[in-house]
Order: sequence, then structure tokens, then C-alpha cells
Amino acid sequence: MKLTELFDKGEFVITGEVGPVKGCLRSTAGSKLPQCAQEAELVRNVVHAVNVTDNQSAVMRLGSLAASVKLKERGFEPIYQMTCRDRNRIALQSDLLSACSLGIDNVLCLTGDYTSLGDHKTAKSVFDIDSVQLLKIAKGLNEGHDMMGNALTQSTNLALGAVVNPNFEPLDLQLLKMEKKIEAGAQFFQTQAVYDSAVFEKMVKKTEKFGVPIQYGVVIIKSPQMGKFMNENVSGITVPAWIIEEMGKVAKQDRKKKAIEITAKLIREIKPMVQGIHFMPLGWADIVPEIMKAVSSAA
Amino acid sequence: MIGTTPKPFEEITDALKGYDKIAVIGCDGCAKVCMTGGSDQVAEMAEKLKKNGKSVLFAMSPERTCYVGKTKTSLDPQLDKLKEADALLVLGCGGAVQITRQVLENYGLTIPVKVGLDSVGHMDTLIMGELAIEQCQECGECILNETGGICPVTKCAKSLLNGPCGGAENGKCEVDSKRDCAWILIYNRMAALGELDKLRRFMEPKDYSKMAKPRRLNIKERKVE
Repeated sequence: MKLTELFDKGEFVITGEVGPVKGCLRSTAGSKLPQCAQEAELVRNVVHAVNVTDNQSAVMRLGSLAASVKLKERGFEPIYQMTCRDRNRIALQSDLLSACSLGIDNVLCLTGDYTSLGDHKTAKSVFDIDSVQLLKIAKGLNEGHDMMGNALTQSTNLALGAVVNPNFEPLDLQLLKMEKKIEAGAQFFQTQAVYDSAVFEKMVKKTEKFGVPIQYGVVIIKSPQMGKFMNENVSGITVPAWIIEEMGKVAKQDRKKKAIEITAKLIREIKPMVQGIHFMPLGWADIVPEIMKAVSSAA
Repeated sequence: MIGTTPKPFEEITDALKGYDKIAVIGCDGCAKVCMTGGSDQVAEMAEKLKKNGKSVLFAMSPERTCYVGKTKTSLDPQLDKLKEADALLVLGCGGAVQITRQVLENYGLTIPVKVGLDSVGHMDTLIMGELAIEQCQECGECILNETGGICPVTKCAKSLLNGPCGGAENGKCEVDSKRDCAWILIYNRMAALGELDKLRRFMEPKDYSKMAKPRRLNIKERKVE
């Protein structure tokens, strides 16, 4: 089911991110379930849909569309992530037509991490169009025409998602772009990871009037090292000292328990402000159901 | 100007392998400003080549080697020596190399023309003799009127036209933490001008056909053909 239909019904929409594998998915006799499918299985009972990343962090992997289709075949609702980094406007439009033809109902339109952050640093970055333009183009395909105004034999029917970073300073500039995304066609938003409910509240106060559903983005902090690493290396995310300290206090084998506690606390604080949660578990998908259990048991 | 950096000397000697009599041509335009191909660098290169066992027939820097007329005027008096040359080494941008080749062809000379520099783009000099930065892509449809005189096509790593990506931190770009986020610069500039509302306008995808190579400029008609 399209995410927009879930939001329209008033559902609190939970999604989880999975990263396609670095390799192909041709099944052979005795082949194991690929990791992205394993991760999706771990959250099957708690999420409405799974985001499938598009060569995340500019690291070359299985295509988001192929992985989305494979997950759909396994009964998941995929959100096909599409970035502007690797394809020009012809390829992006063509892939949106392909996605819809292959049964994909949701697409998340992103700019994409820069090529130099990934594992093919010498590649030519494309960025022919930006995420606002991609949303407008995708909306046009839904309405039956390509970006040049040429009629399609059949329109796409895709729910269009976008991202916003509440940590961005100046926030008003980020929200100016968010408004442009809404005008272009964005129907729901997923946020960058936020670890401070005050930061989130500041954004929500300004975005409430936009009337679009927002899912709170959650990246589970797995260790104090990861928190420090993210502060030093991941732009646009700040992990507060208290989380790093708390994770540092517990023994290694108790970290998952602590991560459940911390993440559930953050979600409880932010939940009343949003219309859903988007998990980016980065390998710890197994604790997502327990986090949600902890959230609801305390409610 | 066109920015240039010197190629490693080993790469130059490799390109000149098998050629003995060399003429060195610099450029007293952009390459002089970059201190890579002005009269001084051309003289230095001639000395290095001599030490490397080459015969240097002559070394000179035309006023602007990318102007066919100026290059021809500089080379005309050297025509006899040029006829002896096994190869030319040009310390100029890629344009200077190709104009030099064309001048030689116009003389009826088929001599290899080698390049001693790497061209690195349209550069604006911030500090003479120290620093130049890239600020213009020559995209063929300037949008500086809409962006407070700061070019996102060039100064944003992703050439975003409708605002920043989410990656900037402390005002710096996710690609290079030493570089300012172009969109934050634009935002601050538009705020100072009292024109923030203008940033709300949807910017259409760029017409990259205007950058389709190779462009041809009709100077008389003042248009790209």
C-alpha cells in the first residue's frame, strides 16, 4: 500500500531502512537469504514499509530498484530511494517508469551523497537535476507527462517522499527548501537522525503549517565510538555527549539493551510531534521490534 | 583566467622521449599569473631540459598563446628554428597547446606539440601570486541575478539550484570541511540584501545543451553557434 494512503488513514507509519548488498541477487541452489532481506525480515512485523537505499554513501552496490522488487516479491512494501548523483534526467525518468511498471508504489527523492565520500572516488558526479526538480518531474510522470511535456502512454502512480534535516543551520534555509519540495510534489518527509527533542520541536513548530506528514529519523547508536565517529565524520548529525557517555558506561554485551532504552526514550519524546518513525538501524535491525515494544509499554 | 599546474618533470621528459631539438613556448597571459608558463618559468624549463640532455632551440612566451594572431606574431621570427625542431613543449593551457599546433600547421609544419601543464579551469585570482578559486563554469545561462551574485552551479559541489542538501555542518560543505556551503553563503547574502523571498522561486533544471561541447563563439554576432 502507498505510504500516502497510510498517512491519510491516520496510521502512525513505521519504516525501516535496508541497504542492498554489494553483489548480485541471482538465486542459486542453496543460496542464503541476502543480508538486505534478512534485515527486512527482522522488522517485518513492526514496519509498514522498508526504504531501499540507492548506492548509499556513494558506495556501489546492487541497485535500489532491483532490491526493491525482490523485497516486494517477499511481501514487503518497498520505498525505492532515488538519488540524483549517478543518473541524468533521462535515466531518472526512465527508472521511475520502470519502478512503477515493476510494482513499486513509493519513491523517496534525494540529492545523494557526493561521489568522493564513497568507494569510487574518481567517478564523475552527475547531479544533472536536484531533489526539488526530481520531485516535480516525478509528479509530472504521475500526471501523465515527462519533464519536456511529452505525453506518456500510461502515467506512473507513485507516492513521493522527500527528506529534511532538522539539525541544519540555518534551519530556515533548510525549511525553505522543504517548502519548495512540497510545492514540487513531496507528499511525506523522513528526517535525518535527530538526538535532541528540542531540535525537533524547533523544526516542527515551523513545519506544522505545511500539513505534510513527517517521520522522525532514527539512527541507532551502537557504541560510544560510533557516536564519536558520527560527530566527526557524518555531516549534519550531532550525537549528544549524554548518549555517548551512557553507551560507554555499559559492558559491550549490554549495549543493545542500552541502545533500546536510549532510542525508546528519544522516540517517546518526539512521537507526539510526528506522524511516523523511520529507522536506520545500520545492522541492528534485530532490536527495532524491542524498541517499539519499549516505546508502547511506557506509553 | 585559465588555471594551470605544472606536470611532473618526469611526465614531460617521458612525453619528449626520442625528441632532441626542442622549442619551449609559454604564455604571458594566464600561465604567467599562475606562475607556470610565464617568461621566468619558460627559461627555467629550458635550463632543466638542457641539463636533461636536450637541445633547446629557443624559449619564449607570447603575450597570449590562446590568440592565434599573437602566437603567430611571436613565432614568425623563429620560423627557421621551428623548421629544425623535433618537438615543441608548450607551458600553457590546453587551448594554448592547440593554438600552437594550429599555427605550426598553418606554416605547413608537422611537428609534435607537447604540453607541460595541466589545465584546471576558469579561475579568479583572490591573492596575486598566492590564491585563485573557481567560481564560474561558463554554463551559458548565468543565474547570478537570482542567487545574490554567488554561483551555486560552481560553488556547490552538487550544483544544486533549489537550495542546500542536508550535509552542511557549521556552514561548511560535506565534501570539504574547509569550504563554505555555497547555499549558506547565498542565503546570508540574500538576507543581507533583504531579498530572501526571491529564493522561494523554483529554479528549472539547467539547460545543459548550452554547455554542449565544443561551443563556438561568433564574436562578430556576439553569440554561441
